[in-house]
Amino acid sequence: MSMTFTCDDKQTLVAYLYGEVDPAERETVEAHLAGCAACAAEVTALGDVRSELGLWAPPDAELGFAIVRNAVRNPVRNAVKRSDAPSAPVLRPARWWNTAPVWAQAAAAVLVLAAGAAIANVQVKSGPDGFSVTTGWMSPALSEPSAGEAGGRRVEGPAVEEWKTALVALEQQLRTEIRSGRAQATRVAAPATPDEATLRRVQQLLAASELRQQRELAMRFIEFSRDVNTQRRADLMKITSSFGEFDERILRQRQMMNNVIRVSSTPQQ
Amino acid sequence: MVATDEELVAKSMAGDTESFNQLVLRWERPIYALAYRVIGRDEDARDVAQETFLRAFRALPGFKGQAKFSSWLYRIALNLCRDWIRRKKRTPLVEMPEGVDIAELAAEQGPVESIEDLVSRQEMSRIVADGMTLLPEEQRTAIVLKEFHGLTFQEIADLQGCPLSTVKTRLYQGLSVLRRHLESQGMTTVEGRRES
Repeated sequence: MSMTFTCDDKQTLVAYLYGEVDPAERETVEAHLAGCAACAAEVTALGDVRSELGLWAPPDAELGFAIVRNAVRNPVRNAVKRSDAPSAPVLRPARWWNTAPVWAQAAAAVLVLAAGAAIANVQVKSGPDGFSVTTGWMSPALSEPSAGEAGGRRVEGPAVEEWKTALVALEQQLRTEIRSGRAQATRVAAPATPDEATLRRVQQLLAASELRQQRELAMRFIEFSRDVNTQRRADLMKITSSFGEFDERILRQRQMMNNVIRVSSTPQQ
Repeated sequence: MVATDEELVAKSMAGDTESFNQLVLRWERPIYALAYRVIGRDEDARDVAQETFLRAFRALPGFKGQAKFSSWLYRIALNLCRDWIRRKKRTPLVEMPEGVDIAELAAEQGPVESIEDLVSRQEMSRIVADGMTLLPEEQRTAIVLKEFHGLTFQEIADLQGCPLSTVKTRLYQGLSVLRRHLESQGMTTVEGRRES
């Protein structure tokens, strides 16, 4: 840097602001600031902005990332919580729908489809015009084929029966699997398994959710207090204003009374 | 005696996962804070932070120690932040930790500070955060790295891959925009507030 400083040398100004100048540069800048009110004001203002920035703090998030090896299922290192402290895994937190086994997700999807079909009363018919699908709430009588449809062949009966049987079997399998999963999770001395890790992750998520709710509650409370306070101030202002109006009215009435007294006490000629 | 980053990195590279976890413990909060201030969303900042450590762990064998471990982490985190911003195709949305700060402040301040003061501080913090969203990503990142992580101009230039002079210009322009924003929001100077 040259040993002179001009008002448009913003890079040196910033370097001075952050204290990244050598002593000679500092002296040069300070000499300029002593005689230049505009630059001095700018340095002060930018310094204030830096102070204001200090107000901006990130939330005090519970982190606790850690990496562990998981050679059982995944040779790549997996990440789990550190010790028993509430923490989050290094890996992107699995969303709840990712924590269930794939077959359970598939079963759930089938169940949802089946339930949807049942609610919508879906019927598949084949006839001279080809296949047709109808939906809607229809009574069995209404859904019977009409004379014109006599040649049509209803295929939903046996198909639905088979479907129901398959679904019941699937549901039982799902229940059995969930029961066995719970039993594993309650085993105290059981070695660490991916299922336990999942359980811990769910617990973390629950804990985090509770924390969020508590904080939200605190915020709501503070908002409520602020609202009450604002209302109180508004009420006070209103009361003060009402008192003012009342005083004015009393004053007017008093003046009127004085006038009446004055007029009445004046001897009539 | 506390191990240095370099010692922990060496042990991690030799296969000591626990040493890497010590590095994580040491750097998780700065990395999270960096991500939060750059992208402005708590949940996404967490994701970026944990993804940073995971990538660092996987890339550790390739870390030759040319840069400080922290600078290397910052670079990974900033790249992830940049990806996030590009993916979302939007400026950072500063999501103030509404309940969080107030509750914590309330706990810290006790009965001395009134609700009005707390709300006022929260409001000022929000205005500052809003002002940061007005800045282009490069200016915002430069300010965050300088103000909150104490990096030198040269370190920021290395991280941002630009000349030193560009870093200074970004800082000056960013601070000037923030100054105008704060003034437009009626935020007086710190000295002014102290006097009042």
